[in-house]
Amino acid sequence: MRLIARFAKNQNEVIDVWDERVERHSLDPTTPTIHSIAKKHPSAVWFERKMHDEFGIEIDGAFDNRPLLRHEHFPHIHPMIQECKELTPAPFHPYPYERIKGEGVFEVGVGPIHAGIIEPGHFHFSQEGEAILHLEVRHFYKYRGIERMCEGKSIEEALRIVEKISGNESIAYQIAFLRPFIEDEEIRKYHAILLELERLIHHLTDLGFIPNDAGFGAALAFCSIKAEECRRMMANITGHRFGFGGVRAEAKPIDKKGLENFLNTLQSDLIWFQEWITDIPSLWDRLDGTGVLQKQEALRYGCVGIVARASGIAIDRRMSDPLYKNFTPPTQQRGDVAARFLQRLDECFASIDLIRSFLDYRPTKSELDVSDGEYFSFSESSIGELFLYTYVENGKIVRFFARDPSFVNWQALHLMMPGNIIADFPLINKSCDLSYAGSDL
Amino acid sequence: MIRFWQRRFKEGIKTELSELDAELEAIKKELKGTIKEKFASSLAIRMVDSGSCNACEAECNALSNPYYDLERLGIRFVASPRHADILLVSGVVTFNMLPHLIDAYRQLPEPKWVVTIGDCTTLCGDIEKTCLIKGPVNQQIPVAHHIPGCPPDPKTIMEDLLTFLRSI
Repeated sequence: MRLIARFAKNQNEVIDVWDERVERHSLDPTTPTIHSIAKKHPSAVWFERKMHDEFGIEIDGAFDNRPLLRHEHFPHIHPMIQECKELTPAPFHPYPYERIKGEGVFEVGVGPIHAGIIEPGHFHFSQEGEAILHLEVRHFYKYRGIERMCEGKSIEEALRIVEKISGNESIAYQIAFLRPFIEDEEIRKYHAILLELERLIHHLTDLGFIPNDAGFGAALAFCSIKAEECRRMMANITGHRFGFGGVRAEAKPIDKKGLENFLNTLQSDLIWFQEWITDIPSLWDRLDGTGVLQKQEALRYGCVGIVARASGIAIDRRMSDPLYKNFTPPTQQRGDVAARFLQRLDECFASIDLIRSFLDYRPTKSELDVSDGEYFSFSESSIGELFLYTYVENGKIVRFFARDPSFVNWQALHLMMPGNIIADFPLINKSCDLSYAGSDL
Repeated sequence: MIRFWQRRFKEGIKTELSELDAELEAIKKELKGTIKEKFASSLAIRMVDSGSCNACEAECNALSNPYYDLERLGIRFVASPRHADILLVSGVVTFNMLPHLIDAYRQLPEPKWVVTIGDCTTLCGDIEKTCLIKGPVNQQIPVAHHIPGCPPDPKTIMEDLLTFLRSI
C-alpha cells in the first residue's frame, strides 16, 4: 500500500490517505496522540512532524521528534490552532542535524540562499572527502501558511490563492482544486490541454537546465527558446504566462490550427534535439549512473511522478482518468539522472500527442457546482501526483490540505546521494526538479 | 563528434534567434548604454526569494534565454551577495526567511540598492498577510524600487529595471 498523505483534519482527527482507501483516526481531545507509522512508511516522517508542529498532536513511537516547520527562532506556538496577529522571534534554539560521526567525516551546509535564481532550502551533507555519505534536506523556509489562509473562504476566493501555491504547477493545482465541482467533459478536455502545455514548459526548462548543470550550456540555450515559445502559447490561450486564472468553469475557444502548427514545429524540433543531445558522449558521461534511485526504495518511500517513473514504477493519475482513454505513461528503468532526463524527453512527446487528442473539444461555459462536503481530489502535475483535501461547510472552506508531489519526493532525495560526489548534487537535484514553494506551503 | 560538426555546418546555429522584436531591441540598447554609463558595463544582481511561488524566479531565469539575453547587456545574476550591486527580492518574506534575507542584505557592499519584484513583496497580491508573513519587504529593509506584476513578464522587468537605473 502506498501512503499518499497523512494529515490532521483538526486537533481531534487524523486522516490517512492510501492509494486504496482512506483511514480516519479519532484522537482524545485532552491529549491528542497518534501512533507513528514512519518505521514502515518512511515518507510519513514529514507528515507526522508537520502535524505535530501545526496542531500539537503528539506522535507516539516516533524516532524523529525534531521540529519541521518551526525553525530556530520560531516561538512555541502551533500556527494551525492558535490565534496570533504577529509572531515575535523566540531566542535561538539550534536544530540538531542528522550527522554521521567518524574520523575525517565533515559537514557541508548549503543554503537556504543558493548560488543561482532558485528557491530557498537547506541541504546538509556529511562528507568523506568528495564522496557524499549522507544528505539531510531541511526545508520550510517558505512556509507561508497557505492552508490556514484558505480557511473561511469560498471556493472562488480560495482559488486565487491555490493557483499561486507553486508557479510551475499552477494549472495542476487549479485543476485538482476544481475537479470535484466540474463534470463537463468538454471543459475537462480544455483543462487537460493547458495541463499538458504546462508540463511541456516545465520539462523543456529542465531539459535545458540538466545538461547546463553538467556544463553543457548549448542545450539550455536551445531548450529555453522552446520553453519561452510554449510560455507565450500559454499566454496566448489563457492570457497569463503561467496560466494564473486560466482554469475556470469554461472551455474557451482557441486557435486550433495555430496550436496544431505550433505542436508540429515543436515536435520536429524536439526530434532534432533528441538526436543531437544523445550524440554527446562527454555529457552522458556525467548523466549515466549518477544519482540512482532503486525501484524498491522508490516504492518504499511512495515516490511519485517523474522520479518514480524513471525508476520503473508506472504511476500516473492520468492512467485512472477516463478522459485520457487508456493512457500509459512512458517509463525508464535505471533510475539515474540520465533516466530522468530521457523520461522528461519522452513525456514531452507524450504531452504533444495528448494535446492533439483533446483538440476536438467544443467551447462551452458552465457554473461551479459547489456543495458542502469533504473532497479528496488529484491531478498529475509536471512533478507528479498532486493531492488536495478540501472540506466545505456552508459554502466556506473549513480545512484545506495540499500534498505537493515534491513533499514525498524530497524525502527520498537523500537515497540518491551515496556513491556520488558533492559536485554532482546540483545535477541530481535538478534532474528531480522538485518544488520548494509547493512542499513548504 | 565528427557527426556533430558535420551537422553543425549543414544546419547552422540552432540556439540563436532570427526573430527581432524592435521594441525589445530598443530597450536592450538603452539598458546597455545606461549600464555602461553608470556601472562601467557590469551590473551584478543577487536574487533572493523570500517566499514566492517560484513564478518570479522562472521569469528571471527566462531573462537569460536567447529572446532576452540579459547577460549580453552587462547584467549578471551573481552567486554571492558580496559580489552584487542590487539585491533583487521576491516573495512575501516568511517568518523563517526573514533572518536570512536581512543577512543577505547586510552582506552587500555599499553602494547597494534593493529592488523588489512581484506583487507578493508589497502584499498587494492574492497571498494575504498571516502571522507567518513578515512582509511587505520595505518594512524590513529599505527598498529603492519595485517592479509590479504577478509575475512581471521579462520585458516588463527589463523596462522597469531601465527606469530604475536611469533614476540613480
